[in-house]
Amino acid sequence: MISVLIVVFLICLLLRFPIAFSLGLSCLVYVLLKGIPLIILPAKMYSGIDVFILLSIPGFILSGNLMNHGGLTEKIITFCNHLMGHIRGGLALANIGASMLFAGISGTAVSDTASIGAVMIPAMKKEGYGAGFSCAVTASSSTVGPIIPPSVPMIIAATLSGLSVGRLFLAGALPGFLLGLGMMVVAYYISRKKNYPKHPRSSFKQIALGFLDTFWSLLMTFIILFGIIGGVFTPTEASIIAVFYALVIGTFVYKRLNFKNIGHIVLDSMKTSASLMVLVGFANLFGWILLTERLPQAISENILGFSQNKYMVLLLINILLIFIGTFMETIAALLVLFPILLKVAMAVEVDPIHFAVIAVLNLMIGLTTPPVGVCLFVSSSIGKVSMSEVSKASLPFLAVSFLVLALVTLVPELSLFLPRLFMD
Amino acid sequence: MKQLIEKILKAGTLLSTFGFIGSTLIQIYARFFMDSAPSWTEEASRFFFVYAMSFAAGLALKDNYYVYLDVLYAKLKSPARRLVDISVHLTTIALFMVLGIYAIQYVVLGIPEKSPSLGFPMAVAFVSMVVMSLSIVIYAVYELKSSLNKKHD
Repeated sequence: MISVLIVVFLICLLLRFPIAFSLGLSCLVYVLLKGIPLIILPAKMYSGIDVFILLSIPGFILSGNLMNHGGLTEKIITFCNHLMGHIRGGLALANIGASMLFAGISGTAVSDTASIGAVMIPAMKKEGYGAGFSCAVTASSSTVGPIIPPSVPMIIAATLSGLSVGRLFLAGALPGFLLGLGMMVVAYYISRKKNYPKHPRSSFKQIALGFLDTFWSLLMTFIILFGIIGGVFTPTEASIIAVFYALVIGTFVYKRLNFKNIGHIVLDSMKTSASLMVLVGFANLFGWILLTERLPQAISENILGFSQNKYMVLLLINILLIFIGTFMETIAALLVLFPILLKVAMAVEVDPIHFAVIAVLNLMIGLTTPPVGVCLFVSSSIGKVSMSEVSKASLPFLAVSFLVLALVTLVPELSLFLPRLFMD
Repeated sequence: MKQLIEKILKAGTLLSTFGFIGSTLIQIYARFFMDSAPSWTEEASRFFFVYAMSFAAGLALKDNYYVYLDVLYAKLKSPARRLVDISVHLTTIALFMVLGIYAIQYVVLGIPEKSPSLGFPMAVAFVSMVVMSLSIVIYAVYELKSSLNKKHD
């Protein structure tokens, strides 16, 4: 019977049903065939969404959108350009740096690609950077965002496993930083090889002014992070504090928010969140069906039957997650696969926090893995470049991502050092 | 009619959002500046949150916020695309009508059940699932109409 569930889900995906509805339809067909009372649909949907920690998702999305409306993207890019513009390929480095700073504000890779790409891709093309390279840098660096805190995928992982959001946020910081740094090295190497331009060095005053311009938004990330780590706020409370803070800064400091656009931003953020919550609701039912069919145990037995070696198991999981991540939306993939694979990983004594970072990193890499990576699609449409050109240009960045993934998989301390330092 | 529905859903989304932001802010304020935080704030926040998501679910469909795969669809020719669109909208309507009808049963089940701290019948909270289904069905019907009208273009 489980095969019906999976087949209907895949058919719906191919027929261009929204992923959330594909989950719902496959569940409906399964429930009908099994003769389970249909009241399970609204019951599981409601219990899936009615979770206090999930409130932090619209909170972080809303605070990010409020900040962004204050012209934050441009301010962050300008600041990064002052810092790194004088280096060969400075605009590419600024693009990656902006993604790392913007990470604390947005929390989703696709929105990072869209907002930073809209400014950076045309600017890079205008300065003579290759169009494919400009799109590839933007798409690849945007995957750093959801690894560096605050991160929506980490909140989902915490909701599914009962792990501490604060620990997960901290666990993602070093791997995210490492990924960003690795991409900068690649961008610099390519820029030198292709003799991409550099700007005159900015004065200290320009750098200081650029920092002041972005200071308030960067402070928000610190309030969120240290509020959660210090036990001052719960993640949900931190997200609402961030909304309140963004409202005050956007209205009184950046002076770009008013009653009219606040309403518009709130609606926009709630529509994004609702599309995720419908997914979460149906995934709750989907997950329940998988559990009743004992699929997690079956997958666990199969993987562990193949090998009980920790690193071999992690390698298999990595391959599976990257493959799924290329075509499936991150949150959907996490909702369906994370609880199953966490059990397998824990059976070979992988720390759950370490595994959560591995899982999110894998799914992020999937977003830029050709031929279907979603971020590649977004950047290629912004840059008006063919998908094949962007895919080709993204290969060096993909190689760095795989290298960082291997490091994060093999060296648990990269993920566990900060949570142990601050929270033990 | 379409504009009225949109206004209601937007107003519902905005009010519920301000509701969960307000409840959480009261919780934070009470924890820092009062002897103890009231017990109802967390439940009220969740209640408003589920409603905000339910009102916004239909608006999200209208404005194309749901993520889907475009791999096969992009390769189809126009008549085949239209056929796929119509099938997708019809099936979506069916899915959310089933959800909506059984959500009404769920509401009835919630009448005798009281919420732990706010004390109101859980049916009030469960109505959100009816709202969600209805808001999505309405916009799926509009999408279906638009796909059918493409025939005359």
